[in-house]
Amino acid sequence: MRRVAVIGVGVTKFGLHDRTSAELFAEAARDALTDAGVSAGAVQALYYGNVVGGETEHQLHTGPQAASVLGIPSVPTTRFETACASSHAAFRHAVMEIAAGVSDVILVGGAERVLNVSTAESTEYFAYASDAVWEQPLGLTFPGVFALIARAHMQKHGTTEAQMAAVAVKNHRHGALNPKAQFQKPITIEQVLKSAYVADPLKLFDCCPFSDGGAAVVLASEEVARKHRKPVWVLGSAAASDWMLLGDKRDLSRVPATERAAAAAYRQAGIGPSDVDVVELHDCFTIAEIVATEGLGLFEPGAGGRAAEKGLTGLGGEIPVNPSGGLKAKGHPIGATGAAQVAEIVTQLRSEAGPRQVEGARKGLTHTLGGNTATVLVSLFGRD
Amino acid sequence: MTEPAVTARAFFEKARGGQLTAIRCGSCGELAMPPKELCPNCHAHQWQPVALTGDGTIASFTVIRVAPRAHAADVPYAVAVVRLKEGVSVLGRIVDIPLEKLAIGLAVRFRPLIGKDLTTSVGFGPT
Repeated sequence: MRRVAVIGVGVTKFGLHDRTSAELFAEAARDALTDAGVSAGAVQALYYGNVVGGETEHQLHTGPQAASVLGIPSVPTTRFETACASSHAAFRHAVMEIAAGVSDVILVGGAERVLNVSTAESTEYFAYASDAVWEQPLGLTFPGVFALIARAHMQKHGTTEAQMAAVAVKNHRHGALNPKAQFQKPITIEQVLKSAYVADPLKLFDCCPFSDGGAAVVLASEEVARKHRKPVWVLGSAAASDWMLLGDKRDLSRVPATERAAAAAYRQAGIGPSDVDVVELHDCFTIAEIVATEGLGLFEPGAGGRAAEKGLTGLGGEIPVNPSGGLKAKGHPIGATGAAQVAEIVTQLRSEAGPRQVEGARKGLTHTLGGNTATVLVSLFGRD
Repeated sequence: MTEPAVTARAFFEKARGGQLTAIRCGSCGELAMPPKELCPNCHAHQWQPVALTGDGTIASFTVIRVAPRAHAADVPYAVAVVRLKEGVSVLGRIVDIPLEKLAIGLAVRFRPLIGKDLTTSVGFGPT
């Protein structure tokens, strides 16, 4: 298998936009191509993440739509849909295609537009990623899914609402250092704890926002990447799945798909959790970050809440998590999130992250979770 | 190819009458619910229907206060993962239990919920 590198990244500002998701992707993709120093004509495929385009924009067939709006209509393109992990799934597919020798330069990205519809409407569309026969009719929401996980984690490990709040405060502190973030304002523990319940025990400030935005990265074979100033190597990229139904998950305090994808990615890279210097992980809710830090092996099962409270995951801490602000503060345009996480880790490993730079970062990890924890992707990155 | 012992449709028809139904693998004894084509434990297709008591305890719960459009009139409402006595778990809407009484480990009993559109879904109420 050939080595694969990320040679260019681009991300739009996340938040409210008055453009279509394809337009948002196209802006990010143009930036990524410019950053890579390759012409659009060199791109041999586009793999694209978009989730609720059919609902919010009445747009299916979003792969060729995005390629057309970007101006590269003839490349083969496929839209990937694994709920919130969609563009990370697209990324893994591109890594395999280049590693296998089929292509040398692939554009990967994603975009989402949801702020053009009401919160009740988007809450409904996101809930489509849970089971339509067994769970949606009960009025289950995504905050509800993670509230069930939070309650189980609190019961088993003594995790507290204050520990979850510490994740939100930390990620907003990071987001304040990221000019692309949807929220660039620090918040306090008290503000989180006093915010209204959305799905007990999760409150409004435990939840990431609805966001519009796009992200793109350019992947290349080693031969092409060597001509680039700072290639960031893909050391591993793995996917794992789990039961769709919450009732089938035997221990709600864990996300087995995170544990399986992480184990596979670490094995491919030949490294372990202690070798990782910086992490972008899927903090769609504060509890999701706590459970992910445990599943990725950064902390022992049950220790994630205390680690967050002690500041171990903040910039300057033992293992900085979500220096971009994470989904919580940077925003979560679901189709774009996986590619945006890769963009942040590449920026960090190039030492180009400015005030949010993790000093001396050499190895990074991205973790993206789809919907009800039934999809997880983990990728590992390193610089020369 | 034998017919599956229980389909989702058959499950909800029985549920409407107050009866929860699981399936047991004739090869390895695994109990499953909702129905699956193959046994997730041994991959056999030898399911037999098993009537459940409907008694269980709350494994985790939440009170939903921001709802999808179709449920907006119901807020606040509770959903819970219920661990049934026989060992399988299922998500259900909690009814007739005050929200402040909800707790992990609380005993609950199945009751069918008939929607405005006359579809049946899984509910749990007091024992």
